Amino acid sequence: MRSTVIVTALGLDRHGLLARVATTIAEQNANVDDVSQTVSNGMFTMIMFVSFDQSETTMAELKEALARTGEEIGLQINVQHENIFRFMHRI
Amino acid sequence: MVFITADEILETVHMIRSENLDVRAVTMGISLDDCAERDPRRTAERVRAKIVRRAGRLVAVADELQEKYGVPIVNKRVAVTPIAEVAGNDDPEAYITIARAMDAAADDVGIDFIGGFSALVQKGFTRSDAALIESIPEAIGGTRRVCSSVNVASTRAGINMDAVVRMADVVLATAKQTAADGSIGCAKVVVFCNAPEDNPFMAGAMHGSGEPEVSINVAISGPGVVRNVVAAHPEASLIELADLIKRTTFKITRVGELVAREASEMLDAQMGIIDLSLAPTPAVGDSIAEILQSMGLEHPGAPGTTAALAMLNDAVKKGGTMATSSTGGLSGAFIPVSEDAAMARAAAEGALSIEKLEAMTAVCSLGLDMIVVPGDTPRNALAGVMADVMAIGMINGKTTGARLIPAYGKKAGDWVSLGGLFGEGPVMALSTSRNDAFVARGGRIPAPLQGLTN
Repeated sequence: MRSTVIVTALGLDRHGLLARVATTIAEQNANVDDVSQTVSNGMFTMIMFVSFDQSETTMAELKEALARTGEEIGLQINVQHENIFRFMHRI
Repeated sequence: MVFITADEILETVHMIRSENLDVRAVTMGISLDDCAERDPRRTAERVRAKIVRRAGRLVAVADELQEKYGVPIVNKRVAVTPIAEVAGNDDPEAYITIARAMDAAADDVGIDFIGGFSALVQKGFTRSDAALIESIPEAIGGTRRVCSSVNVASTRAGINMDAVVRMADVVLATAKQTAADGSIGCAKVVVFCNAPEDNPFMAGAMHGSGEPEVSINVAISGPGVVRNVVAAHPEASLIELADLIKRTTFKITRVGELVAREASEMLDAQMGIIDLSLAPTPAVGDSIAEILQSMGLEHPGAPGTTAALAMLNDAVKKGGTMATSSTGGLSGAFIPVSEDAAMARAAAEGALSIEKLEAMTAVCSLGLDMIVVPGDTPRNALAGVMADVMAIGMINGKTTGARLIPAYGKKAGDWVSLGGLFGEGPVMALSTSRNDAFVARGGRIPAPLQGLTN
């Protein structure tokens, strides 16, 4: 079964942040379906739609890997199932 | 497919990470109708077994949803059929045995509180009701997780003043029984008017007779989120502010709805209700009082507090009602004192009196909640305060509750720490005017005209 999660990353901007997060996602056999990223006043903000097959990785594994990467590069990385965003703002 | 904007995604993340957005409680209601036995020890065994069987996965499921959505689910709890209706026994010892079984079951399944050690006596006592009420001080004093509620009034029945007086005695006895722990037992005993049967909040949670076999009720939260949106709009008029609060509580409630739907499916339970109450905790930024302050009041208790609270409570309900078709429980802003650090501070500084809190009760739930009063408060004074709160609920056709803590050995102005989510607060003075002759009349205050709606 395929799941989609939304990865958000926030922190001070520096070179290579997007690449590091994307590499971690690829290492977990997950796919980046969509990405948007902005830098404003030195703050880096990134949103990724990431899908994966549950036979290849789990949300917990993805979270753990991204938490490690976030610590290394100084980003606060959140991984949440897409439904909370779809549900929260509209009926 | 629903389109999601980047702003919405970042707003959700910000609400959770920076504004204390959480789901306050996922409460499983369990019917114990099939647990009655002639021998109370056997009843207790069946009660424990059924709770463990039905709620065994509650904590694991809540934790799984917390991980999946990144939203903290703070409390996992169980509410059961009012025990006076289950046990059918006129020996208080039988109820103490069952309370211990409930406590053990709560421990088995890893929850912090279990509600439903309850009786509904608004019109009178059965022998079971009387025995349960008599057992409360020892049952609550001798357990850690059991919560008790007694419904002593309703709009349809009036106020059972005999029950009010008996509960005043029970609260004083519970304070003495748990004196070594700051009379903490009283935080687990609440007296109600118009008690809801599907309330997910402690200490008043129960699984009423109109409920299904097993249900999942969810209490939303989010005072911090509402406070921030109010604080961010200092120039907004009150009608604009009401709109902002409605939009915010819509979002908060949608999270509750999502969790309730999934949790009930995963636990093979019927989805019950979403309780729209804004419930504070002692944490800074998680306070109803801070919302009132952000609206422009120096302290809760300042002139205009009741009006501000009325608007807040109404806007929360309007936003929440659009977000779910399963509203229920208490669904009104809570105004506890010890559980809300800014409220406790206002009380300590003399800005907030019990009389003002009573007025605020008229426009929200739950009423006089988590208020520490002197340990030597006379029984009749306590009964009088409870009756006043019940009268507000009875006449206005709403739920009101009184959770008063006559802290043993403490006097007005002392500071009492109750620990954890119960918080801390000052001992608040009660009026010393006598009411003995009124209380001694006994009997029942008849149902008001408001009860004759057919």
